[in-house]
Amino acid sequence: MVISPIHYVAIPLLVAFLIPLVAKIGKNWARILPGLTLAYLNFVSVYLMTKVQETGIISESVGGWDAPVGINLVFSPLSGLLVSLITGIGFLVWLYSYQFKNVEKNESQKYFTLLLMLITGANGVILTGDIFNMFVFMEITAISAYALTAFYRHRNGAEAAFKYLLIGSLASTFMLLAIMLLYAQVGTLNMADIASKMDQVSSGMKVTIFILFLTGFGIEAEMFPLNGWAPDAYTEAPGPIGAVFASAVVKAGVYAMARVVFTLFGYGDSPVEILIIMGVITMAIAEFSAFRQEKLKRMLAYSSIGQMGLVIAAFGLGTKAGVFAALFIMVNHALIKSLLFLSGTYMVYHSKEKLIAELNGMAKELPVTAALFAFGALAIAGFPPFSGFWSKVYFLIAAADQKMVFLIIMVLLVTTVEVLYYFKVINRMYFHKPEMELEYRRPSTNALISMFVLTAVILWISFFPDTVMGYIDAAANDLVNRAGYINLVLNR
Amino acid sequence: MNSLVIMLLIYFAGAILVYAANKFSAVLRDVIVVLAGLLPVALFFSIPAFEAFQFRIAGFDLFWDLGSLAYIFEALVVVVGAASLVYAISYMKGKKNLGYFYMNFFLSLGSMTGILMSQDLISFFIFWEIMTWSSYFIVVFNGYKTNKIGLTYIFFSALGAYAMLTAIVMINTQTGSTMWNDFFIAFAGMSSHYQLLISILFIFGFGVKAAMMPLHIWAADAYSHSPMAYTATFSGVLSKMGVYGLALVMIKLALVSNHFVFSQVIAWLGAVTAALATIYALIQKDIRKLLAYSSVAQLGYIITGIAVGTAMSFMAGIYLAVLHGLFKAALFMVAGAVEKQAGTTDMHKLRALIRKMPLTFITAMVAIIALAGIPPLGGFVGKWMLYESLIGSNHYFLVIVIFFSSTAAFLYAYRFLYGIFLGQEEEEFAHVKEAPLMMLIPMLFFTVLLIVTGTFPGIILGPVANAMNHGMGFRGVQWEMSVLTNVYGDSIHLSVISTIVVVVFIVFALFLILKGRKGTRYVTTKDIANSGEPVRPEDNYHFALDFYKPFERAMAPLYRFKMSEIYGNISDGLVSFFQFTRRLYSGNGQTYVYYVLLFIVILLVFSNQLINR
Repeated sequence: MVISPIHYVAIPLLVAFLIPLVAKIGKNWARILPGLTLAYLNFVSVYLMTKVQETGIISESVGGWDAPVGINLVFSPLSGLLVSLITGIGFLVWLYSYQFKNVEKNESQKYFTLLLMLITGANGVILTGDIFNMFVFMEITAISAYALTAFYRHRNGAEAAFKYLLIGSLASTFMLLAIMLLYAQVGTLNMADIASKMDQVSSGMKVTIFILFLTGFGIEAEMFPLNGWAPDAYTEAPGPIGAVFASAVVKAGVYAMARVVFTLFGYGDSPVEILIIMGVITMAIAEFSAFRQEKLKRMLAYSSIGQMGLVIAAFGLGTKAGVFAALFIMVNHALIKSLLFLSGTYMVYHSKEKLIAELNGMAKELPVTAALFAFGALAIAGFPPFSGFWSKVYFLIAAADQKMVFLIIMVLLVTTVEVLYYFKVINRMYFHKPEMELEYRRPSTNALISMFVLTAVILWISFFPDTVMGYIDAAANDLVNRAGYINLVLNR
Repeated sequence: MNSLVIMLLIYFAGAILVYAANKFSAVLRDVIVVLAGLLPVALFFSIPAFEAFQFRIAGFDLFWDLGSLAYIFEALVVVVGAASLVYAISYMKGKKNLGYFYMNFFLSLGSMTGILMSQDLISFFIFWEIMTWSSYFIVVFNGYKTNKIGLTYIFFSALGAYAMLTAIVMINTQTGSTMWNDFFIAFAGMSSHYQLLISILFIFGFGVKAAMMPLHIWAADAYSHSPMAYTATFSGVLSKMGVYGLALVMIKLALVSNHFVFSQVIAWLGAVTAALATIYALIQKDIRKLLAYSSVAQLGYIITGIAVGTAMSFMAGIYLAVLHGLFKAALFMVAGAVEKQAGTTDMHKLRALIRKMPLTFITAMVAIIALAGIPPLGGFVGKWMLYESLIGSNHYFLVIVIFFSSTAAFLYAYRFLYGIFLGQEEEEFAHVKEAPLMMLIPMLFFTVLLIVTGTFPGIILGPVANAMNHGMGFRGVQWEMSVLTNVYGDSIHLSVISTIVVVVFIVFALFLILKGRKGTRYVTTKDIANSGEPVRPEDNYHFALDFYKPFERAMAPLYRFKMSEIYGNISDGLVSFFQFTRRLYSGNGQTYVYYVLLFIVILLVFSNQLINR
């Protein structure tokens, strides 16, 4: 079998539906098979990432019909980077969830089916070269995310899932509307083809379609004020799923938004003010809200929204430096926020309310987990020498190159707030005396391993940033090189 | 291998090793602490010249070299750092989480070394931030009011660091380089508003660490509530990183000569800091707090000296910075010894420890003499030069403010000495013993060092003049080993004064010993001849209570002005604003849908303005 980008979509989808069957053979197979699948996909990532470095963008037609008629998958440095990230974290989340709460019991079939579906969807969104196909994958991602939000079948979970569904259905409506309008204008659904024909569209229609896309993808990308679903969904979903939300669902949304802005509309040649403004507002409001949160996972959710705001603003700068910074932040955020979710989850494992106040003195009980959380907090707040620092510096430099001093000052002021609330948590874990019985659980070995792997990767990026910056640089080039993408996909 | 890198490696490897060793054995840990503390001292003073080191990471060129000004501060880092570490072994005995404590201690020493050797802005900032968080973790080590004290510290530090980072990225855009030197050269060619913005940002960033008004409010609490072993380094050396940065920026950017108003503002901020902090130091009842405020005040003099920027005042500023590092480290060690041995640092409780802790007393006395600027010790030299430079450059009002605060400093210095060591004895402290040897060694080491540098200030002035002549752009700065002169032709021979003082001291001591042979009666507080008048409980108060009541009454309007209240109001306002933004997420799905619709409607209405091309 030839390794091709299709594996990212086809194999997890197939396995997702095989799980109930396999479970008939042996209960444990339902838990092991997703791991094997994700491990294989990671192997595919390594293989294709090396290949794409040698040969350039791999465009794969599905069903033998070439683009623009058929649907194609594009494995470029950009989509490759994000897909590798998602499958990598997907594998770690699988490892982590192997012995997690209900997952250990009969629920594991559902859990892993949904997880694989979600990863299928997110991979699909990123790989596809067809705008309608992207919509379909976005729906797959969203629906599995709704189901995972309500995974613990209690009242709050159902409510959160319902809210997510409500807003998510609006997102799909707007996306579909935008695609319809676009199709009516240019008569094609292939993204490269649309991009090449974009100048036929009248500017008024163009902006209208753009607004619809912005709203639709903005909801998935957690842009203010469209992100009402996010805090609830993160809080109520099982802990490791928070990591998946932060690293897969949102990343898919942000990617789609960036693809639309840069490739479809070609707005990327000068700063896109709306993205910068909305990004900064998103970041500010989210970090301010995070400061006043009482629940740990809710705080992390707002922090995640804040980082996404930064990413959106960075894309909005429009320059290659801005895109580079955005992608760097995305990579760091996916890794570090996953670490925070994974370690934070065990500290409030049995707690009902999952309050931050319950973390008092946790470092005595769970020294390793607490240390990893503290490390993650330092890294995400951008304290050197940890990896968050490099991405932040690149963002600031990109902003300074555009002479946006106000943007720099706003972002840094907001970051100060972020520093404060993370240090509040660290203070509680290390320096406060416990007021009540601590409700935690010692992490299982597999969970510890996945956290250590994440930590090792983050440390690696911290001290050897050059090793990943090459990939990110190639990805940034890929996104800003609109003509290159069009020509390659359409074989011109 | 490069000797600078070796110094860094010793500190950073020490941090990791000591943390690991703590898991195995306490002895091994202490051995590593002493070794990793003393090794850099040996290395630093045995290597005549450091060679530069350069490498590339994440697309930035990092360039390490030890400049001549940095050399002076680095000497302070290694010496005070090593002394504090030796002191810490006894002082921290019996406390928990020592691996964690020493790890952060070494990290902050390493990061300070890193700051001083950074010739480029990126590594400067990286080390600056490592210094910030590692010192934070020690500030909250005692677990006392971590949210108030710790968060105030980290908030101001982060704000300062980010101001610096903003300046750094702007410099990168303007010059295309992240080297300090390229920046210094290119600065003159920048447009005037960039010049102003960048200098303000840098001074804000350094001003936080140097505890300059109005950015000082973190300092008193952070200094007084860290373990004293660390505060010796924290107040003595770490705050000097801000001074080092200010010195670089003020002089190298020619802010003094080209932006006169600017340098005046900073000089005045320094002087006001000195005056206000001195006044606050006066009313403290906790000696740690007193010393903390005194640190802020001393940093004020230093800032003034640097900001005025004449050769003499700059020299005075740097000299005072070094000296302050030495005597404040000694004083905080004294405070730590008293805290450890007597169990309290409250001057309203402590009495007459002089007979119990004579060596500690001698350290305290020598350090206080140095602090107060009494001849023959170094403070006198520094203040002499500072006054003279201020008068010589026609800053008469500044002299008045500085003179006021330096006189008021006598009051708290005296109270410090008297409150702890002198007065009537109390049975409660009968069991107190002299501090352990490991604590005395660094304290006495500083005592000797202070006496030597007081008599021969040239030991410090020499390198300072060297730094000024080579690197800081001053021309022909003169210095002498042990003679002070002024423009009017007067001169003071310090070694003569020292000799006289020592002789008088010995004679007086002999006299006292001979007289005291007859038998001295030590009176306790309970031993009061009341002549028929019953002693009421309030009469039996400690004499340190309301020690300076009349002074306080005179200064009452100044005490009413509290910077922390202003900040408190701001932070309350911000927190309620955060609460409001949080309320935007009402938790109601319908509201969220409403937001989405509102968003898209607004965008569609303004779609013409949205993308203007």
